[in-house]
Amino acid sequence: MKEADRAKLNLDRQSFLGRNSSSVLDGTRVAIVGLGGGGSHVAQQLGHLGVGEFVLIDPDVVENTNLNRLVGATQQDVAKSSSKAAVAGRVIVGVNPGARISIETARWQLCAIALRSCDVVFGCVDSIAEREQLETAARRYLTPYIDIGMDVHRMAEGFSIGGQVALSMPEGPCLRCMGIIDDRKLELEAQAYGAAGGRPQVVWPNGLLASLAVGFFVQLFTPWRKELGLPVLLEFDGDAQTVSPSNKLLYLGEHECTHFADFSSLGDPFWTVNDLRNRIAAGKN
Amino acid sequence: MRVVFKLTKRLLEKVYARLEQSHPFAFERVGFLLCRAGLLDDGGVVILAHDLHDVADEDYLDDPAVGAMMGPNAIRKALQTSYNRQASMFHVHLHLHRGKPHFSRVDESETAKFVPDFWNVQPVLPHGAIVFSEDSACGKSWIPGLRAPIDISQFSVVGIPTRKL
Repeated sequence: MKEADRAKLNLDRQSFLGRNSSSVLDGTRVAIVGLGGGGSHVAQQLGHLGVGEFVLIDPDVVENTNLNRLVGATQQDVAKSSSKAAVAGRVIVGVNPGARISIETARWQLCAIALRSCDVVFGCVDSIAEREQLETAARRYLTPYIDIGMDVHRMAEGFSIGGQVALSMPEGPCLRCMGIIDDRKLELEAQAYGAAGGRPQVVWPNGLLASLAVGFFVQLFTPWRKELGLPVLLEFDGDAQTVSPSNKLLYLGEHECTHFADFSSLGDPFWTVNDLRNRIAAGKN
Repeated sequence: MRVVFKLTKRLLEKVYARLEQSHPFAFERVGFLLCRAGLLDDGGVVILAHDLHDVADEDYLDDPAVGAMMGPNAIRKALQTSYNRQASMFHVHLHLHRGKPHFSRVDESETAKFVPDFWNVQPVLPHGAIVFSEDSACGKSWIPGLRAPIDISQFSVVGIPTRKL
């Protein structure tokens, strides 16, 4: 095999995704916010799929408690305090050297402008408040938002594992419509703010939920059958090891989201012509 | 400068459904997309379409020399909508063929006359004009601070599937 051929990702085995699927995927810009247990799996799979452009955002560095689930991270990354986003970038480039990758090690709110040009945003964040902010940022720019969440609950007789994958499409049901976010949950989370101790996390539910999220992504951009429906909310019962469309979908039906229906919820809320003129004057265009 | 135009699949279907309807005397229909805008990290601009502003049957002029000619009421109502809703306005019409459409000479000259008028009511927003074909689109945007209109470099249709025209 020639060196040049080795360096190019060969996608022949997924050509059933469509005649132009390779170029569609290569021309797709994806943001992954949170490159921990869930996001690292998403990054790896999108790298294998041949997605061409990534914005990888995570302010955290790799710690030894992450190695039980962080795909691609090594003991050396712990020693070097490598950023989680950089580890994900390394995994992607290791598979697809042609991928264009932007690494952001600030909190996503400080580099949110990078999300505006993305075709899809994956939210792999821990808190409910952050989910809501991220979904709002994505909706502002008519960007599909795919959210994954996993939790291990303490029960009287042990532990229970659960999770969900949600697709929040502009004009479709949002995370509030689906019941993933509500004021009570936000209030409880705010009350627990600052509570010490890491939340329990394990690798296989993260991997499963990430795979389902990537399945949503593929159905959005290179569907393998046109008539496939796309349930917007899948629920994972980790104890029974089952995944099913949420019962909440029965009640959503042709539900019109009212949370993001307002015209003013689109675009830059602080748009001024001065910003534009400054950019033009600075030669950014 | 890169200009990206985004709209949902549902809105695009609404545009086609309305603009494909026949008119009592005009050969084609036109409309306006109400939009908002944002800056991109590479210095470009993204235009986000929200709704279709229809041109009423009676607001067309009977001019057999062109496909559709808007009368003064059509322009006035569109200006009023832009003002009331603080909307960036993009004129739309269809060229019913497959492949990349192009502005005709009449399209070029007419849009250059009325699109900059929207700066009288919304001076800080971009405005423009778009031609949709059956599977593609082309467009121009008048950006505040720039004299000449800029070609829209990318159209994204957000839905299932999400695609670029």
